[in-house]
Amino acid sequence: MAIRVDFTPMVDMNMLLITFFMLCTTMIKSQTLNIALPTNEKVDNVENMSQASADDAVTIILDAKRKTGSLAVDTVNGKVVNEVYYYFGKPGGDEGMIGAGGQINSANNNIQRSEFLTDEVNGSARSSRGIRKIIQDRNKEVLVEIEKLKQQFRDGKIDQEKYDELAKEVRRNENLKKPVIIIKSTPEASYGALVEILDEMQINSISKYQIDNMTRADSVMLIDYQNRHHGE
Amino acid sequence: MGRVKIARKSTFIDMTAMSDVTVLLLTFFMLTSTFLAKEPTQVITPASVSEEKVQETNFVQVLVSPEGKVWLTMNNDTSSAWSNEKMRMALLDKAAEIYNESHKNKLSFTPQQKYAFSKLGSFGVPLAQMGEFLNLANEPEGTTKMDKWLQGEDPNHVTGIPISWNKDEGNPNEFQIWMKAMRQTENENLAAAIKDGTGVAIKADQNTAFDVVHMVMDNLQTIRMNKFTLLTSLKAGE
Repeated sequence: MAIRVDFTPMVDMNMLLITFFMLCTTMIKSQTLNIALPTNEKVDNVENMSQASADDAVTIILDAKRKTGSLAVDTVNGKVVNEVYYYFGKPGGDEGMIGAGGQINSANNNIQRSEFLTDEVNGSARSSRGIRKIIQDRNKEVLVEIEKLKQQFRDGKIDQEKYDELAKEVRRNENLKKPVIIIKSTPEASYGALVEILDEMQINSISKYQIDNMTRADSVMLIDYQNRHHGE
Repeated sequence: MGRVKIARKSTFIDMTAMSDVTVLLLTFFMLTSTFLAKEPTQVITPASVSEEKVQETNFVQVLVSPEGKVWLTMNNDTSSAWSNEKMRMALLDKAAEIYNESHKNKLSFTPQQKYAFSKLGSFGVPLAQMGEFLNLANEPEGTTKMDKWLQGEDPNHVTGIPISWNKDEGNPNEFQIWMKAMRQTENENLAAAIKDGTGVAIKADQNTAFDVVHMVMDNLQTIRMNKFTLLTSLKAGE
C-alpha cells in the first residue's frame, strides 16, 4: 500500500515564511549622490582660486517660503515649502546692492524667483520649465553637443561606453560657453531642496558648480525681493 | 432506468509539487534578503535622479535626524582580517585616544565594554557616558534599554553624538573625534574610501532643515573630509 503524506500544512507554513521574508527584505537599494566641497582652510594663494567670471556666474539661492510680511517660515502640513531664487553675475549688478554709504539700492536688485518644475510633456515633445529652463538656456552650447551624441547613441553608431566618454569631454570642453553655478541656501530651506538642485546640475550637464555660504549681499537682496513681492 | 454511476473520487490533492515550489521560493528569499538595519530614527531620504548604487562595504554612515542628532554606523569589509567587530573595538580605542588628548577626564574602556561596543550597529551617545551605556549590555534586558537610549526615549539620558559648529581642526568636537578615528583605524580600504569620497555617506530626511545638514558637512570639511556622498532614493519617471 502506498503511503501518502499530506503536504498541505507544510505548504501553509512555507507560505507564511515566504510572506515574512518578502515583507522584511529591501529589494531596492538606496542611491547615492557624490559631492565634493572645498576645504575650510583659507586659500593663501588667491591666484590658485578658480574665479568665476561675472559673465558665467549664476547664483542659485534656496529658501523656505515665508509668511507674508515676516521672516517666519510658512509651513504646509508641517513641512516647509522650498523656493528657489537666482541671479546672474554679481549681486546687484556692476553698481552693487549696497552703496558706499551703506544704503541699500533696491533698483539694482537683480534677483529673480523661479520654481522647481518637471518637464511639460506634450505628446513626444518635452519642454522644460522653471529653474531647469533657466539653467538650460545658460548651458545651451553644451546641451546641443550632448544632444548630438545622444542621437548617435540612439542610432547605434556609438555604444554606451563611448557615449559616456564623449559626453564627459563635451562637459569639460573649455571652448564651449558654460555657466559656473554657485548654490547657496538659507538655513531654513530643506535638505531635499539641496538634493533637488544638485539633480538639476546632473540633468543639465553642468560641470562647474559649488555649494557656498550666503553673503551679506545675498541676504539683503533676498529680503529686499521678498519685501517687494510678498503675497505673490 | 439505469442510473449513471459517477465514480467517487477522493478530493485528496497531492501537495508535494506545491511544497517543492514554495520551498524553492523560500530559499530564494532567504538568500537574497538583507534585513533592514535597526536605526535610532527613521528618515525618508530625498529622491534623486542619480543612479549610483550605495556602497556595501567600507563606509561610514552618518545618520542625521531632523532635530540635528547624529549617529554613526561603521561598515567594514566582510573579510575576517577587518571584520566589523574587530574594527569597532579598534575604533573605540582610537576615539578614546583622540578624546584624551584634549580632555581632562581621561577615558578608558574595559574589555567587556569594548566587546559590547563591537556588537553595536548604530551608535551615538556622548563619549563621557559611553562607559555607562556599554555597561547596560551586561544587564538583563540591557539591549532594550540601549535601544531606548539611542532612540531618545530614555528621559535620563541624551542620545546622539555631540556636534556643534567648529572650524578649529586642532580642537575637534566629539563628532569630529569619531570621524578622525574612523580614518585612523588600520583598515586601509576604509581610509582610502574616505579619501576618494565613497567612505562617508550622509543619510538625512528630506524635510530636515539645510542648516542641520550644513553643520554636519561643515564639520567634515573642517577635518578635511570634503568629499562624501548623500544617500538618496530613486526618483521615478525622469
